[in-house]
Amino acid sequence: MAFLEISSLSKFFGNLCILDDIDLSIERGEFVVFVGPSGCGKSTLLRIISGLEEITSGTITIEGEVMNDIEPAKRGTAMVFQSYALYPHMTIFQNVSFGLRMARKPRDFIAERVRQVSSILQLDKLLDRRPAQLSGGQKQRVAIGRAIVREPRVFLFDEPLSNLDAELRVQMRAELMELHRRLGTTMIYVTHDQVEAMTLADKMVVMNGGRIQQAGAPLALYDDPDNRFVAGFVGSPRMNFLPARLAAAESQGVRLEGIGGFGTATLPLPGLAAAPGPVEIGVRPEHLHLLSDGADEEGLVLEGEVTLVEELGAESFVHMDLADGTHVTVRAGRGAARPAGRIRVRPDLSRALLFGSDGQRLRAGDGRKV
Amino acid sequence: MSRATIVFRRITVWTVLKWALALIVAAIAIFPIWWMINVVFALPGEPVSLNPRLWPSSLSAGIEKIRMIFMETEYLRAYGISVVYALLTIAGVLLIGSLAAFEFSLFDFPGRRLLFGIVMLSLMVPTAVTIIPTYLLTSRLGWLNTMQGLVVPGLASAFGLFMLVQFMRAIPKDMIEAARLDGANHLQIYWHVALPLCRNALVTLAILTFMQTWGNYMWPLVISTRPEMYTVGQVVGLFNSPLSHHTVDTVMTANLLAAVPPLLFFLIFQRKIVEGIAMSGTKG
Repeated sequence: MAFLEISSLSKFFGNLCILDDIDLSIERGEFVVFVGPSGCGKSTLLRIISGLEEITSGTITIEGEVMNDIEPAKRGTAMVFQSYALYPHMTIFQNVSFGLRMARKPRDFIAERVRQVSSILQLDKLLDRRPAQLSGGQKQRVAIGRAIVREPRVFLFDEPLSNLDAELRVQMRAELMELHRRLGTTMIYVTHDQVEAMTLADKMVVMNGGRIQQAGAPLALYDDPDNRFVAGFVGSPRMNFLPARLAAAESQGVRLEGIGGFGTATLPLPGLAAAPGPVEIGVRPEHLHLLSDGADEEGLVLEGEVTLVEELGAESFVHMDLADGTHVTVRAGRGAARPAGRIRVRPDLSRALLFGSDGQRLRAGDGRKV
Repeated sequence: MSRATIVFRRITVWTVLKWALALIVAAIAIFPIWWMINVVFALPGEPVSLNPRLWPSSLSAGIEKIRMIFMETEYLRAYGISVVYALLTIAGVLLIGSLAAFEFSLFDFPGRRLLFGIVMLSLMVPTAVTIIPTYLLTSRLGWLNTMQGLVVPGLASAFGLFMLVQFMRAIPKDMIEAARLDGANHLQIYWHVALPLCRNALVTLAILTFMQTWGNYMWPLVISTRPEMYTVGQVVGLFNSPLSHHTVDTVMTANLLAAVPPLLFFLIFQRKIVEGIAMSGTKG
C-alpha cells in the first residue's frame, strides 16, 4: 500500500459535485503537485487531506491508517496557506511555536525546535518581529517554518507563491525544492500555474471538473497526454489543435483530410482502429517549423496570416491564423518572422498527437472507436 | 509674495464661516460643563447673585464642597456601587458578547441566521417596553436590591454582539483553520486568536458600556430601592429632586463629581471610541 492512498473519494457541497471518484496514491517523500484551472477541486482535495473539509464518500489512508474521521491536528499534516495565515498579534517566535505550545511541549524543547527551524529558513533575526514588519517572502518563510516545526508526515501547500512577485516566486520555488531535498518529507502542493507544477513536481496531478485527468511525471504528461485537456493545459504556450477529418485507418497509420481546412496527411499510428469522423491533431509550437519563401512544399504545409510576433530574445512566438480560422502558435528563432504577412509552416508529424471528438487521445494500437 | 499673504489668501469667507460655526457648536457643548465648574469653585451664593461671574473665583470653596459631599453624604458609597456595577457589566458584556460573536461570525450551525436575526430584532425594542417584564423576572429571582439584580439583566448586549460580529467577520477563515491545524481546540482558538485580533473592538465596547452603565438611571431606579444600593445616578437624582434642601452649588458639585469619570474616560480613549464606531459602521 502506498504511503498516502485516496480511493473512490467524492465530495459534494449540497447537490454540487466538487470531487468525483478520485483515486490517487502518493509515495513517501514524493513531491506531488495538484494543478488545474480554478474551480477544478484541487484546493478542496488538499483541504480534505488536511482534514479541514469532510469527505462525502471514499477513504483516505496515511501509512495504512484511515484518516476519514481523524482531527486535522492529529493527522500529521501541516499546511501552508496562500494568505500565509500568520497570527498578526504574535511575534514570529510565537507564530512558529504556536502548534508546539498548543501541544503543551516543554519550554526548552520549543525553544530548541524553533531555533533549528529558524536557522533552516534564515528566520533567526526576525523572531522578535511581528508579521506586519516582514516582506512577502519572509512571511512565506515563517508560514513554512510554522509547518516544519511540527515535523509533519505530509506538507500541504495551497498556492503558497501566488502572492509573491515573479522574481521572488522563482527564488522561493528553488528554496522549496531545496527544502524538499533536505527534509525528504512528502509534499503536496496546489497551484494553477503549470510552469510551477512542471518545475516542482515528481508527480503532477492534472485536475479538471472535479476529476483527475492524468497523473504522472511532468515530462510524461507533456509528451504523452491522455486527453485534449491535459495536452492543452501542460506546456506554455499551449499546444495547437488543428481540426481535421479522419478519412481512413490503415495498417501503417491514419489518413487525415481537411487539416486546417485543406491539408491532407498520414499520421504514423499503426494499429489504430478508428472509424472515419472529425478529429483534432495536437502539435506543440516547437514542432512547427517555419518554411523560408522558396522552400519545397513536400508533405503537409500550413499557410496562414501572421497576427502577432512575440519576441522573447532567444526565441520568438509567431501567432498565425489558418485559412479556416484556426489559431496556431509557432516557436521560432529570434527575428524569424515578419510581424505581418503570410507564412508557411510544416508540422513534425512524427511528434503530432491525435485526439478523438470526445477529447480522448487516439494512440497507435488503440482499438477504440472514434 | 510673502508667506503671510499666501496664508491670508487661503482664508476665504467660507473658511471663516466654517470655523465660526465650529466654535459656536463647541461653546454650546462646553458651556454647561464650564458653568458646573464655575458654580462649584465659587463662594456660596456668588453664581446665583444678580451679577454672576463666568469664571471660578475660589478654589478652596470648591474643595470644601467636594469634601462635604464625600464625607457628609452617601455619595462615596454610591460611587463604589456604580464603579462595581460598571466594571462587572463591562466584564460580562465583553465575555458573553465575544463568545457569542465568535460563534456567530466564524462558524456555521443550524439556525445561525435566524438566531442572529432575533437578537438583532431586540435592538429595535425600546427599553421602556422590556423594563417591566425584566423587573418582574428579577424580582421573582429575589434579586431586588442586589448587585446581581443590577448587573445580570444588562449582560446580554445585542449592540455589543452586533459590533463584535462585525469585527470578527473580518478575521480571515484561513487563520482559524491554521489554528485548528496547529492543534488548538475551539476555546483555544477563541482565546489565542479571535480575542486578541478584535482587541480594538473590545476596548471600544468596554468604553461604550462604561458610559452607558455609568449613566444608566432607569434600571437602578427600578431595581435598587434601598439607599444602600443607590448608584451615583440615583444619588445625584436625590440631590436634584424638588424637595431637596441642598443649595444649588452643592447640587452642582454632585453633578460635577458624577460627570468626571465618563469625562476622563472619553478624553483618554476618544480616538479609540471614534475608530471603533467608525469601523463597526463600515466593515459590515
